[in-house]
Amino acid sequence: MNLQNQKMTELPVIDGLKRKKNNQKSLLHKGMIPYLLLLPAFIYYAVFWLTPVLSGIVQIFTDKNGNFNLIENFRLMIQADLFDKAIMNTALFAAVSVIIQYFLALLLAVLLSRKFKGSKLLMFIAMIPMAITPTAVAILWKTGLVKEGWVNTILMSLHLIKEPIVFLNAEGIAAVFLIILIDTWTVMPSVMIILSAGLQGMQKELKEAAYTFGANKWRIFKDITLPILKPSIITSVILRLIAAIQVWAIAVMVLGYNKAPFLVERIAFYVEIVPGVETSKMLTFTLSFTTTLIVFITTVIYLRFSKRKTKHGGDY
Amino acid sequence: MDKLNIIQKTVIAIVLSAMVLSVIVPLLFFFSVAFSSDVEMSRFPKPLFPTFALTIKVAPAENNQYEIFYDNGEGYRSILTTGNPSKLETHFKRQYGVTVPGEKLLEDFSKTRINGPMEFTYPKNLFFNFNQFFAIVNNSLPALKNSVIVALYTILISLTIGSLAGYAMARFTFKFKELINVTLLIVRMFPVVGISVPMAVLLIKFGLFDTLIGLALLYSIPNIALTAWVTSSIFIGINKELEEASLIFGANSLQTFMRITMPLAFPALAASSMYAFLTAWNDTISALILTNRNQTLALVVYKAIGTTSSGIQYAAAGSIILILPALVFTFIVRKYVNQMWGGVEL
Repeated sequence: MNLQNQKMTELPVIDGLKRKKNNQKSLLHKGMIPYLLLLPAFIYYAVFWLTPVLSGIVQIFTDKNGNFNLIENFRLMIQADLFDKAIMNTALFAAVSVIIQYFLALLLAVLLSRKFKGSKLLMFIAMIPMAITPTAVAILWKTGLVKEGWVNTILMSLHLIKEPIVFLNAEGIAAVFLIILIDTWTVMPSVMIILSAGLQGMQKELKEAAYTFGANKWRIFKDITLPILKPSIITSVILRLIAAIQVWAIAVMVLGYNKAPFLVERIAFYVEIVPGVETSKMLTFTLSFTTTLIVFITTVIYLRFSKRKTKHGGDY
Repeated sequence: MDKLNIIQKTVIAIVLSAMVLSVIVPLLFFFSVAFSSDVEMSRFPKPLFPTFALTIKVAPAENNQYEIFYDNGEGYRSILTTGNPSKLETHFKRQYGVTVPGEKLLEDFSKTRINGPMEFTYPKNLFFNFNQFFAIVNNSLPALKNSVIVALYTILISLTIGSLAGYAMARFTFKFKELINVTLLIVRMFPVVGISVPMAVLLIKFGLFDTLIGLALLYSIPNIALTAWVTSSIFIGINKELEEASLIFGANSLQTFMRITMPLAFPALAASSMYAFLTAWNDTISALILTNRNQTLALVVYKAIGTTSSGIQYAAAGSIILILPALVFTFIVRKYVNQMWGGVEL
């Protein structure tokens, strides 16, 4: 073997040789196999992911005359109508919806983790909203939230209100909370499933041992259940945050454009309502770049904050 | 060990039934709306279950005309007086979702000349709102076809490329493996809007803008990475001796992969194909950015709602068409997905 002549890229051949000392002949080209298998994915991502991402970055630093400009597009974006509100609403929505959804999901997951008659059926029912397309969820809730809709029907038949409420006139914070409510209805089950999976992996012996040593239920929950759930919680919170930052369809379909501005709602607004205008093209680029940046910063901060890097793959 | 007392049991029962009600009740009302006729839409309070028949009261009027009364929950009110069969037919169709020929209606009503004012009951055409959705919403039928095709393309691309990569990640040790793993994570987490806008420019260059394959190319981006992960975690679990046995018996690597490994990895492929399907089926923002005429069903339903709330029952019917395939697909591959989630039993 003349290893000196091997190029850097062929180094894995050595790895392959180390792993299997017998059958050396076939292993020489076997070292290339992982790269061949990864090649389609590599080409795909080079063409359809890296190219658009890079060209997108070039775009946001190019002004309308085609010249390089570091801040012009960001200035445009910040000065655009409702941008400040969109940022505030997105932050509010992401934070509050994730907190509410985790509180409810954890409660339900712990309750459903006990095996009792009908717990499977309950889990099945809880999963239904998860399988409903977001667009359909928005229409479902719009039929409820119109003045003569079923939400008012329920509230009035329970004697909680005397006159129908006009939900769709909600503005500002109220509008955001309306969207949070709808989002929670849809998303909570999927969070619950992830937490349930984590709970089912928990060994019963641990709990029993804690009991024997005199721990009460709260201690067991705090010191055994939560730490075991932590990996599932961290992974699913990240996925939730990423999705929450991109909320838009429900807001637009239920309330209409401009009523509850969000970052992605602004992008859709410029694409759908004011297309063809040069500034709206620049704004969509800059907004989508900003959204991506916010997603990344949030993820990184969250990972730092939770002090435990999730292992990619495996547990999600 | 931890027996529950009666209070704890009651609390759990209350919480769980609240959960069940909050899922089921909105869905029931929604179905009820999707099957509601135009007159029922203005009804308040809303019924929990849809009605399947219409009851009206008819009184004879002068000049061979009939006066029609409808009970909107507050007693019978005069709605229309006519003797024109086509006018009657249209009125019954539009307002009540009843598709009965005008001549037949007149024939029925003629009994009132002898008996005086009478009540008539007609069965509602349950598919009326669904037909209306396809009739009045532009492009809705082609959009349904487009959605299916885009979803199939997405599954095909993600599974082929993703499972190859997943196999490489699970079975081989090589340089840059960690780097590739992190890249897959980033691609998977990358917000879809972040890529859609510049992707539009790229697709225009390739002549793929506003095409189904162009959309599928975008939807495959997160799903190739996802498939790679899901399959690699399964490939690691597959007994390696089986593969080696196959190699010893003279099959080459590709044959081993296709005949031994792939069938064993089926649950992972089923789960990945579900995610790929749902990405393509549920998306609206990318379809909004990347298409003009070749819209998908989710986008068409999104646009159907418009800015007003009139005709929302047609949009509701459209969303039921949108929900059904996703529900069916989700529940077909459910058990495989549950394996992926660590065996949550259902």
